[in-house]
Amino acid sequence: MRYLAYLLALLAGSALSFEGAIYGELGKTIGQLETSFYNFFMGSIIMILLWLFFGKGKLSYTLEAPKWSLLGGVLGVVYLTSIVISVPFVGVGITMVAVIIGQLVMSMVIEHYGWLGSKKTKVNKENILAVISMIIALIFIS
Amino acid sequence: MSVIMILFTFLGGITLSAQSSINGSFSRRAGTIETTLLTFVTGLLFLTISILFFGHGDILDIFKAPKWQLSAAFLGTIYLLFTVVAVPRIGVIATTISGIIGQLVIGMIIDHFGWFGSLEIPFDTKRAIALVFMILALYFIYKGNKRAN
Repeated sequence: MRYLAYLLALLAGSALSFEGAIYGELGKTIGQLETSFYNFFMGSIIMILLWLFFGKGKLSYTLEAPKWSLLGGVLGVVYLTSIVISVPFVGVGITMVAVIIGQLVMSMVIEHYGWLGSKKTKVNKENILAVISMIIALIFIS
Repeated sequence: MSVIMILFTFLGGITLSAQSSINGSFSRRAGTIETTLLTFVTGLLFLTISILFFGHGDILDIFKAPKWQLSAAFLGTIYLLFTVVAVPRIGVIATTISGIIGQLVIGMIIDHFGWFGSLEIPFDTKRAIALVFMILALYFIYKGNKRAN
């Protein structure tokens, strides 16, 4: 199951790259904010269908949950918008590098302090070595 | 101006990690599909308001766009769904780094073949070295996670 979780995370990232490349083209035709809107509109339809047929959880938990745990969607919009605005100014390469460094730093801070309901895990030697390897990889790519 | 933009995108990366974490914990009580659904619906509500005030394009042009461009919506759904599944099992750091590696590898493949009208950038020695360091990073994360459990 753990191997599967790593594989799913790898596939999730791959999907994000394909999505970025394709939406870049769509954005030229219909506009950037409109592309985001389309993404969330279609995503909602797909998920309503999946939920109707395969939803085993408890959607009503939404009303009981702490309000901060409902912010996932808004954060996704902030991410998409920051990308769309930044790319024309600094280019795709630098934009992706800045995003990735933001992701790496924030995920370490979140896990270290156990913020946002994540399991508290002290940053260890391996985490730091992994981030250093990622930064070296980014230098070679860009 | 550029420095502000880079900081702004850095913030975008921060929000993406925060989203993974928030959704991961919400899914423990609400379920995977329910969490992804909520993320899309709240994002949609927020964008509906944004588009009314700040939209410059024409959403109706969607009917004229080639169908392969519209298929990307399935990819966005897969991204969210898989992230929600992975975070409670392997943690935020491991999910983030694995996701980034998947992103960069596919990014290099798209560049190499120049798919989707992108610039054609061939896979060279520098990029091969980058790939080695990414595999190394994945190994470190896996080892660190195994020891922590």
